[in-house]
Amino acid sequence: MTQGSQKRQSSGGFDRTRLRLTVLGMLVVVAFVALYSRLWFLQVLASDQYRSLAKQNSVRLVYSEPVRGRVVDRHGKVLVDNRISLAVTVDRRTILNRHKSKKVFRRLSKLLHVKKKVLEQRANDNAVSPYKPVAVANDVPKKHILYLREHQDLFPGVSIDKLPVRTYPHNDEAAQVLGYTGEISADQLKEPYFKDALLPYQAGDIVGKSGVELQYDHWLRGRPAVQKVIVNSAGDVISSKLKHGGGRGDDLVLGVDHKLQHLTENALRSGLEAARSSYGAPAGAVVVMDPRNGAIRAMASSPTYNPKILADGFSTKEYKALGQGTPNNPDDDALLNRTTQVAFSPGSTYKPVTAGAALWTGLASYSTYLPCPAQFDFRKTIFHNFEPYDSGSMGFPQSLEVSCDTFYYQLGAKLEEAYGPPESAGGNGTEKFQQYARRAGFGHTTGIDLPGEAGGNVPDKQWCLALAKEIPGFCADGWLPGYTVNMAIGQGDLIATPLQLATTYAAIANGGKVMQPHVAERVVKQRPDGTSKVVHVIKPKVVHNLGLDSLELGVIQQGLGQVISGSTGTAHSAFAGFPLNRFPLAGKTGTAEIGNTGKNNAWFVSYGPTTNPKYVIAVLVQQAGFGGESAAPVARQIWEGIAGVDHTTKNIIAGSDTSR
Amino acid sequence: MGASGIFGEAVDRIGGEPIPSRFARKAPLRHLDPALAFITLALAAYGAVMIWSATVHVQTRAGLDPNAYLTKQVIYICLGLAGFLVVSLFDYRYLKSLAPIVYGTTLLPLLVVLSPIGTTVQGAKRWIDLGAFNLQPSEFAKLAVIVTLAAYLAERKGDVRKRDIAVCCGLVALQGALIYKEPDLGTMMVFVALIAALLLVAGTKLRHMLGLVVLGVVAIAIVVQTGILAQYQVDRITAFLDPNPNVQSVGYNLTQSKIAIGSGGVRGKGIEGKNTQTSLDYVPEQHTDFIFTAVGEQLGFVGSAVLLGLFALLIWRALRIASISRDLFGSLIASGVAAFWAFQVFVNVGMTMGIMPIAGIPLPFISFGGSSLLTNFIAVGLLMNVHMRRYV
Repeated sequence: MTQGSQKRQSSGGFDRTRLRLTVLGMLVVVAFVALYSRLWFLQVLASDQYRSLAKQNSVRLVYSEPVRGRVVDRHGKVLVDNRISLAVTVDRRTILNRHKSKKVFRRLSKLLHVKKKVLEQRANDNAVSPYKPVAVANDVPKKHILYLREHQDLFPGVSIDKLPVRTYPHNDEAAQVLGYTGEISADQLKEPYFKDALLPYQAGDIVGKSGVELQYDHWLRGRPAVQKVIVNSAGDVISSKLKHGGGRGDDLVLGVDHKLQHLTENALRSGLEAARSSYGAPAGAVVVMDPRNGAIRAMASSPTYNPKILADGFSTKEYKALGQGTPNNPDDDALLNRTTQVAFSPGSTYKPVTAGAALWTGLASYSTYLPCPAQFDFRKTIFHNFEPYDSGSMGFPQSLEVSCDTFYYQLGAKLEEAYGPPESAGGNGTEKFQQYARRAGFGHTTGIDLPGEAGGNVPDKQWCLALAKEIPGFCADGWLPGYTVNMAIGQGDLIATPLQLATTYAAIANGGKVMQPHVAERVVKQRPDGTSKVVHVIKPKVVHNLGLDSLELGVIQQGLGQVISGSTGTAHSAFAGFPLNRFPLAGKTGTAEIGNTGKNNAWFVSYGPTTNPKYVIAVLVQQAGFGGESAAPVARQIWEGIAGVDHTTKNIIAGSDTSR
Repeated sequence: MGASGIFGEAVDRIGGEPIPSRFARKAPLRHLDPALAFITLALAAYGAVMIWSATVHVQTRAGLDPNAYLTKQVIYICLGLAGFLVVSLFDYRYLKSLAPIVYGTTLLPLLVVLSPIGTTVQGAKRWIDLGAFNLQPSEFAKLAVIVTLAAYLAERKGDVRKRDIAVCCGLVALQGALIYKEPDLGTMMVFVALIAALLLVAGTKLRHMLGLVVLGVVAIAIVVQTGILAQYQVDRITAFLDPNPNVQSVGYNLTQSKIAIGSGGVRGKGIEGKNTQTSLDYVPEQHTDFIFTAVGEQLGFVGSAVLLGLFALLIWRALRIASISRDLFGSLIASGVAAFWAFQVFVNVGMTMGIMPIAGIPLPFISFGGSSLLTNFIAVGLLMNVHMRRYV
């Protein structure tokens, strides 16, 4: 019995149990094969990927904003400086991932007297990298800072940062030249200048938005200090190591003369005020340039703004007040640099270019005499002179002095007949008038070191036909000879910036060299030990020449001199009493019709002293009547300062003049 | 004539079965399984070191005792060894008749857990606070299920009918219902695995086994569909299918867990220094359910493979004991324990690697926790008991 049951157990039941145990064992083997395979995949095949994920988890690079380089004038006067602002920053990874954030923002709002919604909006700014604390309030008073430090437990993720902020010791002076700064935008990050930078830019960086701040950002920006921070899962900083120290940006030395800039802006302001007694005169621009090297000595544009209100980036209300709120009215845009970014018909200030084209092509000589009738009939079109009477025959100098339109209509007609498109007036199609205009600096940008420069326009057949496709009815009959005749007196579709006119007049003044204008002179690196080193120099550059010999240039220069000194000169009355014998000047007025509005833009471009020209001054006063009436007085005020006639500015400019 | 007990004293019959005289002289102490003992101790030591490495950095930063968890785990190991000794001293065959009492005594604490005395941790009532020690009765319930089912099925002597299957399921369902109330999905899953393994070994017919599988699948579908499970439980089950690294989501655990293991590479990052996932606290519950991530990150594929190898050896010993046991009861106990470990290792390690759902199942001997450790040592005690009395 005992033996029997034992036998049954071992032979039958146990064998079956062993078989079933084998099945269980197989299941276990399958499970372990699965585990080993997965382990092999994770730790051997996909390990690199997980290794980098682990690194992303715990390693954060924290960039601290570097101090931007200063901008100084040619004598070292500081135009743009920095100060340190105590800012309240919020670490979004800590604050936004927790439901406590609402409470934190409510407390911050109460403390800083900023609306909670505004704080949250700033904190949620997508432009800033999520790993970088984002500033929600600048220039926070000391007592609030102390409160925040003492009650850190109430404000998790909130910290105090010392942020450098731009300051402008002379307020709105040269605002459009200097430009303003702000956080780099998504669009900017895509631009080649930022995208391909040697030292990469990233969201949240403070960069130049306009002016030299933008143009020279690579030099000015400095190098951010980078800290390698190890954080745990709660976002607490476990350790932090300086990966590389930062450095402040390099200083930019401008060719601009602070005192001359001040003088120029004052002159423009009083000129606009005077013009407003009779005209709208909403805006104006003045550029003062050294004809010898193309250096910009002063650049004024009105209306203007104080870049300070844009420096902290939060004053949206004030930003709107700059005129950005009315995009259809360019006259109130204070951010616009009207010397480089706005092109208008130059009017009679263009006449020296027409004269130059006639002389360069050989259609006229320096001794050419032409009549100046009350009207000029050309191919069934009547072109009227400004003066309704016949002024008799005259040479180039007098044609400029009295600004005879019919004189230049005839030159335009000659140029059209010789070089215009064959179908228009039987010319040879070389369009040499347009060629010369471009040579003199029109129809393309001058290459000044300021962003957003407008190139203006020199109308030609190709331009006419291209536009005909876009605007129905425009240029429907092809190029007409009248276009060229109109262009000869700077009207029609020829448009130019004040800077382009300054460049052309500089060439007339300096013997024919068309210079590339520049506002900056050099970049200076300030070393921590107090020494400095010039790291970049902006050299004067001759782009082209007018192609006129000294006799040809001489008659133009003579004519421009007579505009001011001649008894019938269009600017004679504006310069009555100016010591021309001591400080001889040359210039040209311009009164350019603005479409069919009946309003005129007033121009005056001048240079001096004619014996050895050191300055070219181009003045534009928008919607202000005659050039001699509204623009020339602005130039006179500046010339008085330069010549030392005005007592308040005496000796000041004389000093700056001899320094270089 | 006359068998002998553990100390060689004369025993005539144990559990009603007569003992053959030719084995009577073979004292149980002579038939210990040293391999089983060695593997158990190696696993316990491995676990203690991993728990220390997973907690030392966080404890240090918090200004707490860096060895706090290690100390506790060592105490648990000592308790476990005591439990092992107690369980291996008496003949396991007594358990067959004691099974109803074992079943009852584990049912009681489960009721206590659900009473107001029970401690709630992270929304679940699974513990009884004993002062220095939080008792988790559901761990011990797993062993009770093994012993109870083994006792019942051993009586069937290989002839398992539908009625027997129903009884087994009913016995477990009562325990399972209480555990469902806690809730503790992981333990319920272990119960299901144990029933399946024991029915398989006990001799259930193939068609019945297949029928059970079909029933199980249908039951799971109904449970998920009807919303008997809480949303977080469904989320955890399905998270491994679609891991979402969002910090607030269930997928965060899984993402961080996989990063920890994957970044360990072949040789691991070591216990000091570069083990950022572990030392910077990126893996939640790392010293308990996710302890395998500490192994994976710090010791790499080599260390993980060695650990899995130790488990494979352990389960092999259990299955071997099941096959050499002198009776079906011993076989069933041993195979139940084997299935218990195999299932827990597979689900726990699989969970950390994203091939199994996230369930609160500890890794045997490695995860921090007294109840789990004591349960596992008692299980080793049962195995040793069956092994050393195979001739008695």
